[in-house]
Amino acid sequence: MRNFLYLIGEAFTNLRRNVLVVAAAVVAVFVSLTLAFGALVFNELVRTTTLQWQAGNHMIIFLHDIGGAAAHDEMLERVGGFEEVERVFYVDKNDAFEEYTQMFARGSPGMLEIVDRTDLPASIRVELSDLSQYQAVQLRLVGDPLVRRISIVSEGIERLLNLTGVLSAIGVGLVLVLGSASVVLIANTIRMAIYARREEISIMKLVGAGNWFIRVPFLLEGSIEGLLGGGLAVGAVLAGHQFLGQLPSDSLIQFQVSGDFLLRWGVLVLLFGGAAGFLGSALGLRRFLKV
Amino acid sequence: MIRLDKVAKVYEGGVVAAREVDMNINKGEFVFLVGPSGSGKSTLIRLCLREEKVTKGRIWVAGKDITRLPGWKVPHLRRTVGTVFQDFKLLPNKTVAENVAFALKVIGRPRSIVNRQVPQVLELVGLSAKANRYPRQLSGGEQQRVSIARAFVNRPPILLADEPTGNLDPATSVGIMRLLDRINLTGTTVVMATHDHAIVDAMQKRVVRLNRGRIEQDQSGAGYESRAAPAGT
Repeated sequence: MRNFLYLIGEAFTNLRRNVLVVAAAVVAVFVSLTLAFGALVFNELVRTTTLQWQAGNHMIIFLHDIGGAAAHDEMLERVGGFEEVERVFYVDKNDAFEEYTQMFARGSPGMLEIVDRTDLPASIRVELSDLSQYQAVQLRLVGDPLVRRISIVSEGIERLLNLTGVLSAIGVGLVLVLGSASVVLIANTIRMAIYARREEISIMKLVGAGNWFIRVPFLLEGSIEGLLGGGLAVGAVLAGHQFLGQLPSDSLIQFQVSGDFLLRWGVLVLLFGGAAGFLGSALGLRRFLKV
Repeated sequence: MIRLDKVAKVYEGGVVAAREVDMNINKGEFVFLVGPSGSGKSTLIRLCLREEKVTKGRIWVAGKDITRLPGWKVPHLRRTVGTVFQDFKLLPNKTVAENVAFALKVIGRPRSIVNRQVPQVLELVGLSAKANRYPRQLSGGEQQRVSIARAFVNRPPILLADEPTGNLDPATSVGIMRLLDRINLTGTTVVMATHDHAIVDAMQKRVVRLNRGRIEQDQSGAGYESRAAPAGT
């Protein structure tokens, strides 16, 4: 225990003495993990957003409350009769609130408090037989006093939807590549630190320090660097997420992922940072510290 | 205390540093390893520390065959052997006392022992008043005294010194040799590689002369150039 405290002390002394090298390692992990975590969040955004699109909501016609249920029924029937329309269904205020609740209950419970059941407009969800015809439907409805706003999944977005699988694979690939990069970067940094202190290490060996006595401060050092980099990455992604959440969003594109997701992955990214630091140090030490 | 049996060492590239070296050093002896540059003096010291592995032959240090010692036991070997080098090998960011204490801390000695033994050994080497100075604030001779204090603080039965006076002026060298002699008088076996004729002549201890990796002469109570007896006497 006494020895372990001494080794922790040595690790922190090393961190203090090599501020520049440590900063380089922390920044390297920070950049890698920010991109990796950012890719994960982007993946989740694509996933949650496209879940909605995949339900066939090619167009959403938001309605004013004027005219009551009869006016809405009439509009539903009218839109359903358009030749370009494959299917329609009506989402009343209650259903809209339920949908909103499902969307934000996990991640942003605060957003539930600011919206009342009566605040959200009823809407007609439209599935088109041919997406390229959306403008024809839009033109017929423009100027109608009952129509509050029309959201459209454009062809570009449809193509993006088709690319969801590819985007997910790219996201996972980025996570793997950047995660590995952070391990390699830490390994290199620790190697630099060892190289800078090779004289000290040779003296430690000469006076009979065991391998673990020499290794533990470096392993702790790497883990601390990884945790710091990981912590900064989580902070940066959370800040970015917070910022995006404040942007005015279309109901078709969500800039928010659930808090659960962020918490779970945030903790994992932090732990990964620490583990990457440990692994990087272990790799960096492997060749240099043979007796 | 130290025994070498037909030891050979060939470095990568075919450089032969030791050939068929047989040597037996008893407990409490003071032995000079002398010879020209490249004769194999430092190699023998490094082999006894297991900094290098023998190509052939066997070496026993403090009763253990170190040629068959697994890597994880090497630190234990080094705790029984104090080492002093020409370039002092002090940690520049630690004070004199911390440098000496370092040798005890790395082998897990309790603080009470560290606090007791460090001042004792600093007194032995005459550096009590400079315990809180950093190596850069000391002269070469003083730095070498710190290095000797660090090598001896753990009371090792063997002390290996590789050219410990190589960077020092003659007057300072005499002080260092007196110190090593005092350590030897406590029963510690001292093996010292040196080029310094004056020191070897003045001390009149056992001298092992090496040339091209072979023992050319091994004689007790000899001077540097003494050729009175053949090797092994």
